Parts: sequence; structure tokens; C-alpha cells
Amino acid sequence: MHARLAPLENGTLPQHTDGSTLAARLGKRYGKRITGVISVPGREGRFAPLPAALPEALAGALRGRGVTQLYSHQAQAWDAVQRGEHVAVVTPTASGKSLCYMLPVLAATMTSRAKALYLFPTKALAQDQVAELIELNRAGELGVKAFTFDGDTPGDARQAIRLHGDVVVSNPDMLHQAILPHHTKWAQFFENLRYIVIDEIHTYRGVFGSHVANVLRRLLRICDFYGVKPQFILCSATIGNPGEHAEALIGQPVTAITESGAPSGEKKVLLWNPPVVNPDLGIRASARSQSNRIARLAIKAGLKTLIFARSRLMVEVLTKYLKDVFDHDPRKPARIRAYRGGYLPTERRAAERAMRAGEVDGIVSTSALELGVDIGSLDVVVLNGYPGSVAGTWQRFGRAGRRQQAALGVLVASSDPLDQYLVRHPEFFEGAPPEHARIHADQALILLDHIRCAAFELPFRAGDRFGEEAAEPWLQVLAEDGVLHPENGRFEWIADSYPANAVSLRAVADGNFVVVDRTGGRQTIIAEVDFSAAPLTLYEGAIHMIQSVPYQVERLDWDGRKAYVTRTHVDYYTDAIDYTKLKVLEHFESAPAGRGDAHQGEVHVVRRVSGYKKIRYYSHENIGYGPVNLPDQELHTTAVWWQLPQRVLEAAFASRHEALDGFLGAAYALHIVATMAVMAEAQDLQKAVGSGDGAWFVSADGNGRGQLRGEGGRMEEVPEAAPFVPTVYLYDAFPGGMGLSDPLYQRRDEILAKAVSLVARCDCASGCPACVGPVLAADEGEATPPRVLAARVLDLLSAA
Amino acid sequence: MSALADKLRGLRRQAGTAAASPSRQAVAPEPSSALAQLHRLRRPSRPGASVLDREVAGRQIAPGLYLHEKHYDWPEHQPWLDAGFARLEPIETARLLYFDTETTGLAGGTGTRAFMIGAGDWCEGRLRLRQLLITTLGAERAMLAEFACWFDAHTALVSYNGKCYDAPLLATRYRLARMDNPLAGRTHVDLLHPVRRHWRKVWPNCRLATAEQRLLNVVREDDLPGSEAPAAWLGYLRGGSAHNLRRVGEHNAQDIVSLAGIAGYMSALPAQPEAAMP
Repeated sequence: MHARLAPLENGTLPQHTDGSTLAARLGKRYGKRITGVISVPGREGRFAPLPAALPEALAGALRGRGVTQLYSHQAQAWDAVQRGEHVAVVTPTASGKSLCYMLPVLAATMTSRAKALYLFPTKALAQDQVAELIELNRAGELGVKAFTFDGDTPGDARQAIRLHGDVVVSNPDMLHQAILPHHTKWAQFFENLRYIVIDEIHTYRGVFGSHVANVLRRLLRICDFYGVKPQFILCSATIGNPGEHAEALIGQPVTAITESGAPSGEKKVLLWNPPVVNPDLGIRASARSQSNRIARLAIKAGLKTLIFARSRLMVEVLTKYLKDVFDHDPRKPARIRAYRGGYLPTERRAAERAMRAGEVDGIVSTSALELGVDIGSLDVVVLNGYPGSVAGTWQRFGRAGRRQQAALGVLVASSDPLDQYLVRHPEFFEGAPPEHARIHADQALILLDHIRCAAFELPFRAGDRFGEEAAEPWLQVLAEDGVLHPENGRFEWIADSYPANAVSLRAVADGNFVVVDRTGGRQTIIAEVDFSAAPLTLYEGAIHMIQSVPYQVERLDWDGRKAYVTRTHVDYYTDAIDYTKLKVLEHFESAPAGRGDAHQGEVHVVRRVSGYKKIRYYSHENIGYGPVNLPDQELHTTAVWWQLPQRVLEAAFASRHEALDGFLGAAYALHIVATMAVMAEAQDLQKAVGSGDGAWFVSADGNGRGQLRGEGGRMEEVPEAAPFVPTVYLYDAFPGGMGLSDPLYQRRDEILAKAVSLVARCDCASGCPACVGPVLAADEGEATPPRVLAARVLDLLSAA
Repeated sequence: MSALADKLRGLRRQAGTAAASPSRQAVAPEPSSALAQLHRLRRPSRPGASVLDREVAGRQIAPGLYLHEKHYDWPEHQPWLDAGFARLEPIETARLLYFDTETTGLAGGTGTRAFMIGAGDWCEGRLRLRQLLITTLGAERAMLAEFACWFDAHTALVSYNGKCYDAPLLATRYRLARMDNPLAGRTHVDLLHPVRRHWRKVWPNCRLATAEQRLLNVVREDDLPGSEAPAAWLGYLRGGSAHNLRRVGEHNAQDIVSLAGIAGYMSALPAQPEAAMP
């Protein structure tokens, strides 16, 4: 990404409006709200001729559709595939990535009846892909049979697809639950399998990605049984480590193609912070009001505009506001459309067609449009709130762009800490490469689940490996469980069960809670929550947000793993008061960190939720408490932690209490920047502050001040005689860890530097949810503010 | 046993797996493996007192593979089966192979196997029953090879729900063993479908036990329910008693005999016009 920070322009208004002139106009009228302007220069296309080895019918079909030459990255992909390499292509939106795999696949299918398996993360994308294949096939009479195979495929069609499909388009869940455990029915398909195409691999990260990597290990085991070594062609949107991520997924070396040859127009990106409407409390106008205003101006100026909202509800609200302006005459065709999950596929297809044909002037969408759905080119993209990652932000902005004229992207910040961090650090976009996608394929529980599934599919022999690991110890565990039977060095499946059904690719183990909506006598499952997150979010009385819609938890059936909720309309959210005890079990690595030191290792975590706070929106006032009575949560996981020696603290802080408040604030800031750095969801990474020897722990009360707890419960202060080594921990919130701690430890200098800058550059007076955590207004001006204390801790931990 | 096992147990508890679904991996009403181990350890020290009953029917024809054979007199044996009830041409009964498998479960997929294959054919006017039983997993290959020998170029199959269940399951086993599947491409009379067409609206259900009782007046005594067959075999495989496994054999034998009886009964039914068949 060639982004460059440019000064605000106040250009004159030209005749014709494009993204660039609109940016200038917005800058003139709303200069104070724009905290940063980023210019992305346009790029000429780089081309290559159609490969000579392409079958004539295929080349003819391409020419018939106006494709007379290839972009350079498509030609590179063709060459690498012909050399027999596994390939990962990184492609910006609308750069013609499907040709990268379509050409080698169709050529091989036509010349040697080779078969290909395509995996897409969603059914809609799979259908798009098959529609494209069928179109090309019809145009050139290529004789290639392509089918989707997913949960909607009728039973009587499945047999024909298994026997006759040249290209089978499916998804990882289907491969995991339906294809691999029945691989013998797919024998002809596997015996001729030449290519495995996996698109959108940037979505396969974290827990989901770790599962998918193991599903691929199982797939390769099956391929081995049928005597084939298929080649992988992988595609990814822009992420920081495409080649490395692709190699982690398939466990083999990959040739990464990262230079797009597709032309692109110039683009301006504005970072937009809503204006302050209540200076006393620092409350800003809503992101929604700003997005609505920007979109209105853009559409009035005749620019095709797309607004991304973070929830389905927000999509509907923004659509209504825009329709009130542009669609008040029901006799005219609609100029504004909504696009989100939950609509029927036919409805979505119709919306896509209307957008491609340019019949729509404004589209409001959730992330459902983020992935490769083709809707043609747009002039303006407005993000109503930060999508959660730099990579995701650029993917969405990628929707805007035409060859001839400049496009505009606007990121409107919400009041979330991450949004506020970003919009106040415009250089973040310039300096920060897109996030790395990470997986931890050897996570103990995930590995056990997939070795179980793999043993069902084909027996193991004692010396076999699964991925990198020797399988035997895991097989022994499964034999003890009674699902495998060891006999003469072989482990064979013996249980009357179908293990893939019990393994969800989106969770570690299957202790998940379901959230049941009982509003108005309904009984609808509306969400699933990880076991480890349940005590923090599903206690009775909790306000549980689903797509920004608040529900209140009425009853929690702990053993039945169900939370019953009803729709509510309160003006507060709830925050669990939990306190956490950590015990370090094993040190992996240590290094000096400023005047203290940093560590990573294995820890044992005990977490107890003792109650919750009700916090009013915007003002963040604490308006009440409630008790929670749940069993303790235990967790054996990995962590990274920092500590400062006692003498340093005694010299730097007036009291132990001040030092603790500083550590709490530092933990809050470190947690924000660390979450961003490793592309994690906020709840996947947790923080804790406590004594290095585990004697006591401290958590923030409603006022942003620390409360101590020791073995016997509440403590007033750390005894003077006891050693005082406060420690801030960041730990993986999954049993066994998900591989977040190691990258955090490796990047500890960068994380600390970012936390220092986050706290130093915040606009607040003494601390706020965007830096060191909420503080009570009444607390301001009294003693040393938490923000100053946190900054002191972070400075002491930074390299001198 | 291992440190890994202990660690995994801890992690699974923390992930909520253990409490949520204690029965997910339950296999059989079998004493815990530790207990089974105890049994095995104690057996030699108490010779004679309660020697475990490990006797299975038949003779061992390969390591871990037993063949049990039995002949039944059949008074009204017909040389032709009028297979019009199954919309097929008449078939010489000498070509017929009635078959039924006993399996390790109903889960389907590549993890389910047959531990017993029973088959009947006509031998000098009498019904010959042959049953293959494996007592080790390693013997499966020998069982599949032996079963394949019972086919000749003209063999036609008769089963009850075999088209959807037994035949695909055996196809999977042959594929996994990298052997040719002798069932592929055979004429296959699956009696379940014509029985359903005739009596679906008359009987409470169309299970084989119902059909044999209504059509042939067969009443089974001390029959081991089919659902208990997996546990019976698994118990034996893990060193337990053969008692229930022998009952599985008896159950399977009756299934084969009933197949022959029901096929004969259906064959003798007056032809129905197509239109009368719902």
C-alpha cells in the first residue's frame, strides 16, 4: 500500500465532482473533524499476453469476454503453477484474482480431466464462483462441469456431483463434516484431484484458521491414501504475512505473488472524528450522524456511495435516513439499498445486480459485502466505525476506485477505544503494515479434535505424524477414551459416533453456550458464546450486545450451557467485576524492559466473576451493581508479562496504591494496543495485574482505582513487610493458549512504545476509556490522575 | 497414563467439554478400560474358577476370522424367484445370495465397520447359512476376501435395506482395504421397498422383525436387539465375554432365514397392477 500522509487541501471547486473534489469540499467545511488525510496514488496497469499453453477453446472464450491479455500477477500465477509450485496470490479488491486459479484449473480439466476442489468461506461466494465458471464454460463450450457442494445441495444431486464434478466448490465446514468422513464415496474425485483452490485465506485466522489448517492436514492424508499430491492455489486480501500465513495453513512451501498488475485510480482517505458536543464530559456526536451527512453530500454530488456499518441494525437505521432524503417518491426506482446477512439469497443477488448495473446510488452494508462479492466500481466508501483491523479497513476502502477518476474513503470513528485510538493517530495507517494473520494449528485441544476425526477417516499407524507432531501420544489418549482400539501398532476407530459432528471449526472444544432469545414468547437461538467468555458476558443481569442490539440475560443454565435473554432498551451496558489470579508455571523467556523486565511463559489462571457494574452510555457513569454467583474458571494458558523492581517503584511513586493504579492503567493501554497488534478480538486476549509471586491481585473499581484481593478476599493494602513486585499480564483466553503470547513477546518494544504514545497523546484530562480506562469525573483534579500514573509505569518499562 | 493425557484432560475440563457432554464418547455399557485391564490381570491367577467365556461359533479359517456354517431344510423351495414385486425379471434362485451385516454402529462414514457378514444361498434344495466373524481388527481383510469368494459372475443379492445400508458400508470397507468390491453392479433385490409399498399403511412399521412376524409367523425368543450388537462385539474385542456375541450370531442367522422366507412370500403374491401401488 503506497499511502502517504498529505496536508489538508483547500482546493477550489472544479466543475466536475469526483472523490478528490468532494474530499476538498469536506475539508473546507469540516476541517476540524478531519484528523488525517491519506493519499494513495493511482497505478498504471501492467500486462502480459495470454499464455501460449492455454487451450485454444479457453483462450477463445476469454477473448470473447474481452480478456485479450492478463495482468502481470495473473501471468505470474500461471507460470508458478505450471512449475508445480503452491501459490499464494495477494490481491486487492477487483484485481481479477479468480483468473489466477481459473486458468490453470480449466486448462488441466480440459486437457487431462483433472479435478479441482475450491473452498470459499461462504456459500454466497461459492455460488458466485460457480456462476462465473458456468458462464465461461458456456461461452467457450469447454465441457467443464462445476458444482457447488454445501449444506443446501439436495441428496439426490450429491452422487452425481461426486462422480461427475470437475470443479467442486465447497467450504471448510462441508469438507470437515461431509466430505472427508465419507471420502470413499469421493474416491474417483480424489484419485484425479490436481488442484485445491482456497480463496479469502485471510479469513482463516485465529481459532477458525487453526481448525482449517487441521482440516487441510486431514485432506492431505486422504489425498495420500488415493495417491495424489494436489497443488494449492491460495488467494488472500492484503494482510501483513500472506506467504507465511499460506504456508502455515497448508504446511508446505508456497510461492507468494504480492505485486498486483491491475490498474487503480487515485484515492483519498479521510479520518473523521465526530465533533465534541459536550465538552465537560468529552461526549462526541454519534458516528451515525456523521456517516449519514457525508453519504448525503456524496450522493447529492452524483457519486456512487457505499456505507459500511458494523451491525445489521445500523444498516437499517442508516438506510432509512438516506431513503428519507432520496427515496421519498415511491413511483421512482429506489436509489438507496441495504445489503446485509439475513436477507434471502435472491434478494441479495438482485441488489448485487442493481449495483453492478449502476442503478443504485447508495448502498448500506455490513461486512457481508467485504468479501469478493462483485458489485462494480464505486466512488465513495464511508466506514461507520473502525472495522477492527487495518487490513479490513483497506479491504473495505478497496471497494472505491475507478480508473479515470479519484475515489474517496472516509473512516468515521465511533466512541470505542480502538476507534478513538486510530483516529487520533492518523500516522497509524501510514506506519503500520496490515496486521499479520496468525494460526496455532498445534493448539492441544484443536489438534486432539482433528486427530480424532482423522482416525475416523483412516486408521493411524504407530509411527505416523499428523502435521508436525508425532501422532502416537494423542492416539494413546484417544485409546484411553475408548474411541480407538490399538492392535499390532495400528489405531483403528471403534466407537459408534461421527466425531466431525462434535467439532465446530469456530470454537476450541465444544463447551459453547447458546444464547436463547425469549422476547415475546419466542425461543430462538441468536448467538453462541465461547465457554471461556461466558462467565464474563452471560451472567444473570448482564446486558449482552448482539450486533449492537442490547439483550438482557434473565437466566443462565450453566450445566445446560444456555443463556435465556430478552430484548431490552436500557441506556447502560454492564461490565463484569472479575478478579483474576495467575500463577506462573513455567518461564520460557525473559529480557530486560527499561528498568524492569519482560517475560513469557505458561500460567495457571483462576478467574472469578463476583459481580457486575452498570455503566451509562457516553457518560460512563457507574449507575449500579449486581451480584454474580458462578463457579471459578480455571485456565492453563500462555502469557506475556512485565514487572518493575520494588526499589524502582519506591523511587517513582509516592505510595504503593499509586503504583498499583499506574499498573492498572498501563494494563488497560497495553491491552488495547496488543489487541490491535495481533489482530485479535478483545475478549481473546485478557489482562491482569497482580503480585509477581501470586500473593495478591488488583482490579479496577468503578472509579478507575485499584482494589486489592489476596488469599482471604479484600485487602486494604499490600503489607509493608511483604515484597512488592506488581506485574501486568496479558494472557490468551483459551485453554492451552492460541499462540498470541509469543508474537506479543517478540514485539514487546513496539507494543510498549505504542502504549506510551496512546496514553501520552490522549485528549482527556486524567484518563478515559480510550487510554487508561474510565475514571470518574469527580475524581479529576484530586491526587495524581490515573493517566499520569500509567504513563509513569509505561515509561519505566520502556527502554531507557 | 501420560503427562499429555493429564494435560489434555485438564484443558478439556477448562474448555467446558467434560461437564457439557459426558456421554459424547461413550462407547458401550462396558466396564472402564482400567477395570477391563484388571479383569485380564486377574484371570490367570484364578484358573478354573470363573474363566471368561470366550467361545465363539464356528471354526477359525484365518487368524481372527471365524466361519460358521449351518443348513436349513426348506420344504417349498422354488427354482425361480418371481421378482416382479421388485419390478425385476424372474431370477433363478440358485443365483441368489441373501446377506446381512452386523456393524460397529450406525454413525456411518468411514469409521463404521462390519464385524460380521451373514449370507444364505441354496445348496441342494436346502438353505445354506454362512457367517463370517472377526475377533481382531486385523482380520477384516481376510473376511472381505473370503466374502468375495462367495460370489460368481451371476450372483444376485437379496437384502433388507441393504441398498442404503449394508452395500454402501461394504463398498467403503473394500475401498479402504484397496480391494475390488464384489457387490458393485449386482442385481440387488432390497425387500424393504416392496414390503413398504404393500404394508406401510397396514403395519405399525416395516422393520424386518415386523415383516417376519406378520408374513412368516416368526417369533424370536431371547433375541438380542440389533442396537446392542456393537457393544457385544466391542466387549468381546476388549477381552470380555462371548455370550452376547453368540446371541448376535443367532440374531443374524434368523435375519438371513427370514430374508429367504420373505422373498419367497413376496414372489408368491398375485401380481398387482402398477396403478394399485401407491
